[in-house]
Amino acid sequence: MTKIVGFLVLSAVLMCGSLQGQNQSTAQNRVEFEPVGTVAVKPGKTTPVVFTFHVKPGFHINSNKPSTEELIPTQLRFSPPQDLVIAKVQYPAGQLTSFPFDPSEKLSVYSGDVAIKAVVMAQSHAGTGTYTVHGEFMYQACDNNACYPPKKLPVDFNVSVASASHGSTRPRPNKQSPHIH
Amino acid sequence: MNRNLALIGASIVASTVLLFAGKLLIQGNGAQAGSRLGAGDVVGAVAPDFELKLLNAEGKTLKLSDLKGKAVLLNFWATWCEPCKVEMPWFVDLQKEYGAQGLQIVGVSMDDDAEKIVSEFSKKMGVNYPILVGTEQVAEQYGGVEGLPTSFFIDRSGKVVSREAGLISLNQIVDRIKKSLGQSTEPKPVAAKN
Repeated sequence: MTKIVGFLVLSAVLMCGSLQGQNQSTAQNRVEFEPVGTVAVKPGKTTPVVFTFHVKPGFHINSNKPSTEELIPTQLRFSPPQDLVIAKVQYPAGQLTSFPFDPSEKLSVYSGDVAIKAVVMAQSHAGTGTYTVHGEFMYQACDNNACYPPKKLPVDFNVSVASASHGSTRPRPNKQSPHIH
Repeated sequence: MNRNLALIGASIVASTVLLFAGKLLIQGNGAQAGSRLGAGDVVGAVAPDFELKLLNAEGKTLKLSDLKGKAVLLNFWATWCEPCKVEMPWFVDLQKEYGAQGLQIVGVSMDDDAEKIVSEFSKKMGVNYPILVGTEQVAEQYGGVEGLPTSFFIDRSGKVVSREAGLISLNQIVDRIKKSLGQSTEPKPVAAKN
């Protein structure tokens, strides 16, 4: 009986907490990341990769080169493990768009699907196996009336390093990249 | 058996009360003096008092309660907010026009660690009202300000007349300022010709 009473009270408390949490999570994600499949690369070689982000309808984010210096640029950054390099990050050109709040000004923005290209390179001494690369997509979104605080979206993906022609027997010290602080 | 039923009944009542208490917590209790606004309707609620650092004032602060007796337009904004920049020149003009009648516009900058940028920007815009360095705590007190601009129109007794999330028109802003000043917002009747 005590257990039943305790369970009912606990459930009510948890439901209150959940309701509160749902209400506070108005910090919705206005951008979503489309997960990338495992990228295969050989030691000493490079592989291209495309990271796709979906900006939800009704919203836009600043491009990587926004129109004024106060605006927060979109950026994609990685902290790869020491055996990998993520390079040549290429942002698409922004769309020059004016909005109802100021039809006289054109802003350089992204909307809809945003494809950012990069290249993954494995160092020549990289050990075989699967590495996890941690990254962050930093953006600041607005709609036609308001702007929302800058956000960081985790962007994690796996890289599979295949054995080189002359196999490396060096053990891989650390598969994980450090967390970005 | 009866005791068990009574216990079950009591726990159901307690759970229901807790659920409603949680719901009220979410909606906010407008009658509470100055603690926190809810996310729902806040008209008539007492605007929570706060104390924030004044920009370019060598550590001085401003409390909302310092402005008691004035109508306050409390505007949350940021330099990265383009719609905010549209209304700032309006605020400069409105402060000039209605300041003598008791209006005080107060800007709360939600930029992160950017006082120099905010200061330069405010100067560039010719801002003639106090700019405060905002905090997440004060944003939470005001119901969790997320979208910018968000403005609260507060009357002379410290009660919220209106909350506006997002950019609204100049006419709408003037209407709300007049309400907070206790002025009529009805169009003046045209005098009859004799």
